[in-house]
Amino acid sequence: MLKVIITKDNNDIKRVEFQGHAMFDDFGKDIVCAAASSIMTTTVNACLKLDKDSIIYNYVDNGLVLDIVSNDMTTTKLVENMIELLEELENEYPKNIKVK
Amino acid sequence: MNMMKLNIQLFAHHKGQGSTSNGRDSAGRRLGAKRADGQFITAGSIIYRQRGTKIFPGTNVRRGNDDTLYSTVDGILKFERLGRDRKQASVYPNA
Repeated sequence: MLKVIITKDNNDIKRVEFQGHAMFDDFGKDIVCAAASSIMTTTVNACLKLDKDSIIYNYVDNGLVLDIVSNDMTTTKLVENMIELLEELENEYPKNIKVK
Repeated sequence: MNMMKLNIQLFAHHKGQGSTSNGRDSAGRRLGAKRADGQFITAGSIIYRQRGTKIFPGTNVRRGNDDTLYSTVDGILKFERLGRDRKQASVYPNA
């Protein structure tokens, strides 16, 4: 199961960690993983396009960590949108992704 | 920070190339008939290699301790029926 762990500070989203594997299907056919990866990548690149210092991402052993550096409106809205989309994905595939 | 490269299987798991502990087998034991029906054979010749008694020893034929059938006389080999569903091998000396 892919776990999305959100860390907040005074209601600001500070960190989003992606841990594990969606395990929906074999590599190359895992549509849940494809959706989650696409949502995350689109958001990160959109933020970086607007402000290349707004987000820091790091690949870690079991996934990826996003550190939200700037609290400007655009970055915040984009990240919130990402989380909402991931939550929608969780509703469709509760066994494969968990947002907490 | 560089733009992120799109990898839509980033969170997919690689099916591990599992290993199996199988894959061993012993060499074939070359069992079965060593002489043909109606063939002339000499005393001591091996007739049939087997595990258990697929074929039973008949006239002038004996069974070794590994169930091998062998002839005790020179003569013609005959595979015959034994009862309803068994076979036996016999050797009949030339008349």
